[in-house]
Amino acid sequence: MTKVKVKLFGPFRDLFGGRELEFELPAEVRLRDLLRRLCDTSEREKQVFAGQEVLQPHVIIMKNGIPVPRPGGLETPLQAGDIIAIFPFLGGG
Amino acid sequence: MSELPWGVHGKILEVDLSSGRIEETPLDSGQVADYIGGRGLGARLLYDRIDPTCDALSADNVIIIAAAPLIGTNAPTAGRGHMVFKSALSGGIGSSNCGGTWAPAFKSTGFDALVIRGKAASPVLIDIRPEKTEILPAGHVWGKDVHLTTEALQAGEADRRTRVLCIGPAGENKVRFAAVMNDRNRAYGRGGPGAVWGSKNLKAIRVAGQKKIQVKDKEKFQSGLDQSFYLLKQAPATKRLLRDLGTAGLVELINLINMLPHRNFLDNRHRDEDVERVSGETLAKKLLQRAAGCYLCPMGCQRHTRVGDKKGEGPEYETMVMIGPDCDIYDLEAITRVNYLCNELGMDTISFGGTLACAMELFEQGILQAKDTNGLDLRFGRSDLLDEFARRTAFRQGIGDLLAEGSYRLADSCGHPEFSMTIKKQEIPAYDPRASFTQALGYMTSPTGACHLKGGYAVSLAFFGGAKEIPRFSLLQSPIGIRNMHNLGIIQDSLGVCRFTGYAFSYDPWARMMSGLTGLDFSTARLEEVANRIAAVERLFNLAAGLTESDDALPARFSREPILVAGEERAVSVDTIVRMRRDYYRARGWNERGDPLSALLDSLGIEKRKWP
Repeated sequence: MTKVKVKLFGPFRDLFGGRELEFELPAEVRLRDLLRRLCDTSEREKQVFAGQEVLQPHVIIMKNGIPVPRPGGLETPLQAGDIIAIFPFLGGG
Repeated sequence: MSELPWGVHGKILEVDLSSGRIEETPLDSGQVADYIGGRGLGARLLYDRIDPTCDALSADNVIIIAAAPLIGTNAPTAGRGHMVFKSALSGGIGSSNCGGTWAPAFKSTGFDALVIRGKAASPVLIDIRPEKTEILPAGHVWGKDVHLTTEALQAGEADRRTRVLCIGPAGENKVRFAAVMNDRNRAYGRGGPGAVWGSKNLKAIRVAGQKKIQVKDKEKFQSGLDQSFYLLKQAPATKRLLRDLGTAGLVELINLINMLPHRNFLDNRHRDEDVERVSGETLAKKLLQRAAGCYLCPMGCQRHTRVGDKKGEGPEYETMVMIGPDCDIYDLEAITRVNYLCNELGMDTISFGGTLACAMELFEQGILQAKDTNGLDLRFGRSDLLDEFARRTAFRQGIGDLLAEGSYRLADSCGHPEFSMTIKKQEIPAYDPRASFTQALGYMTSPTGACHLKGGYAVSLAFFGGAKEIPRFSLLQSPIGIRNMHNLGIIQDSLGVCRFTGYAFSYDPWARMMSGLTGLDFSTARLEEVANRIAAVERLFNLAAGLTESDDALPARFSREPILVAGEERAVSVDTIVRMRRDYYRARGWNERGDPLSALLDSLGIEKRKWP
């Protein structure tokens, strides 16, 4: 099993109902599988995915502090202990 | 002189505080096409009117306040004024931007720009009405804070459109990072414009008018306007997130990408639970009363907050981090309270936080001692002393007299300038440059010294750039990326609009609105040419003021003391600094010393000034 932690920020806290969630996933799991599991309602699906294989442009995802690339990031493999952070696009100062 | 474009009044108001002379001069109509307004027009007017080597705090300094053609239309966010002067911190060009409602009120008096020179013998205010401008005594408000001054000068005014721009005690006492404030809490913050006002005995400028401008081609203007509003409503940041979280919504994100400064940029290590306490999410939950927007802003990132029985505005991301984690402080209420106080005293929160952090490190190093600090414990983390230090700084009392000079002069006077985290003697804002070459180069080459606005929100290029994405540590892409980012910022500042529109769109809607408004042909390419011209004039000013390429660099800490970024040790080596700087100059058409080449100046129609 692959145990990963998901940290949520901004509006994603309300969307997924928490600041930090833990998931146990099967081995050889990819980011796509985690997100599909997270997005278990049509509202959650709509806020995160723009299409079947495309994230919404304002969704920033990092694995262990490193942004996952787009396109292609959904293929990112996950290992036990990984921390996935989901952020909204935000700018300013 | 060619025919005057639409969208401007064609008049500049010139006030000499030494002689009391007030005159109107015509706006050179060609300058609208070449410099637009705001930052660009201000830079040009300053370059033509000042000896760049003068003392910034003498009667010889000149203050330009420029409106912009779009101000007075219903273009989104088009209400930002721009002030240009010789900086009290860097000695180079000072260029500061502000939201609020003063700039539209100023434009409605019938002028496009205001030039202030000389020094009054005693405190004065400039009172501008369409029918007449007067220099009035201001002794009755001298010593009063920003809020009380604003109230006193608006009291009894029959005209509800009356607006006040003023300094607080920090400006009066020539604190080198004093701000000029309007609408109580909106600041022309960086570069010490408040100190320049204070040195001229200028306390306030009150304006009221009702002159309007006309749009030349309403259909074309409307097409740009519609496009801009559509895009602002599409992009999540401009549609909702800035309103929900404010700019402090960045705190968690910037921490996660290892860019959040800690203890005067000593490191970037914070405990997650500490960061949570000063996040935008916590701010929204605990202190936020309501979000609001500046003039004509549909985004609304302003934080109207409450701590105990006190109401005020803030903190923004920069304030939160510079007075917070950079001073090892994670006390949201204390940071918010001192933010209120800085607004009342008229003081830039970025430079105040950066200077305090520097003083704290000097104290912990034993370089500053209790005898220098009036017995106050200046160690990192003393959130209970923030108000005390802010007051002492604004009034130059005891240790405050040293803090009021900014961190560079403070550390230098102790014989240790290396503890000052500044570029061109201006405090670095709240993104650690070691965590992104692009950000480092943006700070280095900002004409005003390290600045969140002039340096560019480079972090957004690395993470939200989409097709324009630039890897954080790309030596090859950073110079071009930063030049482009600087150029867009120059245009936004010259149009009188907010940087945050850039999260929805860049040039095209503005080009249409400007073409429709003025009757001139503003394409995207034309706007980029204008940006290159303004960058060249700002550079010429800095070179004439005595700045050199060695001022476009980072403090040694960022080269010598690496931080951990995504598990790797990162610093910005001197070689990297030299190489990126050279490539940035090249991308600009400047030589290896950063001097604009004569072919470039010819093509931009700029004549280099010579001073006797």
